[in-house]
Amino acid sequence: MSDWASYQLQDFIPFSGDVYFRLLARMGEDFWPLQWAFLALGIIALVVAIRGRARLALLLLALPWGFVAVAFFAQRYVTLNWAGDYLCWAWLLQGALLAGIAWSGFGCARARPRPSLSLLIGSFLVLIAFIGPPLTTLAAGGGWRQAEFFGLHPDPTALFTFGIALLVLRGPALWGVVLIPILWIVVSALTLLVLESPRAVALFAAVALGGVGLFCRSLPGRRDQ
Amino acid sequence: MEGQYLRRQFIKMLSAGLVGVWGLPGRVNAREAAVTKVIATKAIPSSGEALPVIGMGTWRTFNVGDDPQLLAARTQVLEAFFANGGGLVDSSPMYGSAADTIGYALKRLGKPESLFSAEKVWSPAGGTTREQVASLARRWGVDKFDLVQVHNIDDWREHLAVLREMKAAGELRYVGITTSHGRRHPEFEQILASEDIDFCQLTYNITRREAERRLLPLAREKGIAVIANRPFDGGSLIKGLKRREAVPEWAQQEFACRTWAEFLLKFIVSHPAINCAIPATSRVPHMNENMQAGKGPMPDAAARQRMVRFIESL
Repeated sequence: MSDWASYQLQDFIPFSGDVYFRLLARMGEDFWPLQWAFLALGIIALVVAIRGRARLALLLLALPWGFVAVAFFAQRYVTLNWAGDYLCWAWLLQGALLAGIAWSGFGCARARPRPSLSLLIGSFLVLIAFIGPPLTTLAAGGGWRQAEFFGLHPDPTALFTFGIALLVLRGPALWGVVLIPILWIVVSALTLLVLESPRAVALFAAVALGGVGLFCRSLPGRRDQ
Repeated sequence: MEGQYLRRQFIKMLSAGLVGVWGLPGRVNAREAAVTKVIATKAIPSSGEALPVIGMGTWRTFNVGDDPQLLAARTQVLEAFFANGGGLVDSSPMYGSAADTIGYALKRLGKPESLFSAEKVWSPAGGTTREQVASLARRWGVDKFDLVQVHNIDDWREHLAVLREMKAAGELRYVGITTSHGRRHPEFEQILASEDIDFCQLTYNITRREAERRLLPLAREKGIAVIANRPFDGGSLIKGLKRREAVPEWAQQEFACRTWAEFLLKFIVSHPAINCAIPATSRVPHMNENMQAGKGPMPDAAARQRMVRFIESL
């Protein structure tokens, strides 16, 4: 057996479930009530995206990516996993990419999104990113402060961005913008799988659904364009 | 949800910790208490120093960041370890904040006398061996380590050369090498055969016995102490056993195994070449179970064979 074949997924996750979920909860507690500001920011980004103002929507998304990069990965996650530094840079890069595309307008739709499967999927991902994590926390008896929110935590931020990108981008810009969110969602789902959290399945399902939207959006000559 | 679950777990841990430290009258009879009072030790071949046969690993379990709740909980785990007569605590720079957590706990526990501190240096060496050891010692809050090992035998030539110098200068007491998951055994064997080391650490448990063929006999012949890591095979082994089977009656009668943790750990530490097993846990009740394995009668060679046959029959 080669050395690499002897590695298992759990060998790459250096923390246990109780520690990781406490980290997510503490992130919310530490920044309360900033989650409401990010929620408002997300709603504004969604509204302007639906109204066809793609560049402004993308610009608004750049801020949460920068915030999560520093406040979550560089200041907190890195205490558990040395990979936090690299993830911080990846998230900063994504924030810069969003800002750059917003500035240049490259790949941005110039009209309101038309009814299509990718619009439906994009809207669904945005909705899930907004209400999924807080509602599951509340349903399980947790509080608002412990819940994961768009702008504060990586999973809802990545899902939200994936959804907005499906609404307002096309071509190479769309693929470029969704790459890091998809990678993170997969990494997060694998982490949760090792930690035996049922949320892993939800994340895998979300990324698969987003993949369908991406495929539809990329087909040439379709209304999705 | 996780938040509520964690609060529940913490309360359980807290209450279990109190039970672990002060005992649970009525559950342990006088005869058992007498039998299980003292943890067994084995001599380190290079010095003759006695080392308790159950140590503590920290992979995943002690990587808790700066969370005050979790730091307090892990302090209780370490307290239970020492209250049960534990000695060797093993960590690594690749275990995230584990070294800081140990340092936090030791500061509050007042550095128990039985502590046998074991750390590792990892790659790239690049002239950083001393720097790595010094940084880890600061994080633990100790003046010097008892044992420093070369993690996964990466850059072992450079690391071992420096570690031997440090040992000669009294800056550490023992040097060693590690591997896990059965990786790089041929190179590991070569180092055991050719280098002057005090300890080696490898994966050995009732389902992973590759080391029995060459490494353990060689370590015994060369007078090298052996630390067994992954005694529960990363947790999957003991979880599977707890789900499907009760500890066999004969194991309870012959060598006082009441739990699967005792069964699996007694198998390991009863091997003549193994000095110490290092199970990791984040829970006080599990720590107490693990430490029981170092107490009372141990299986003999025939019983060890029976244990293997039993596990293989499942």
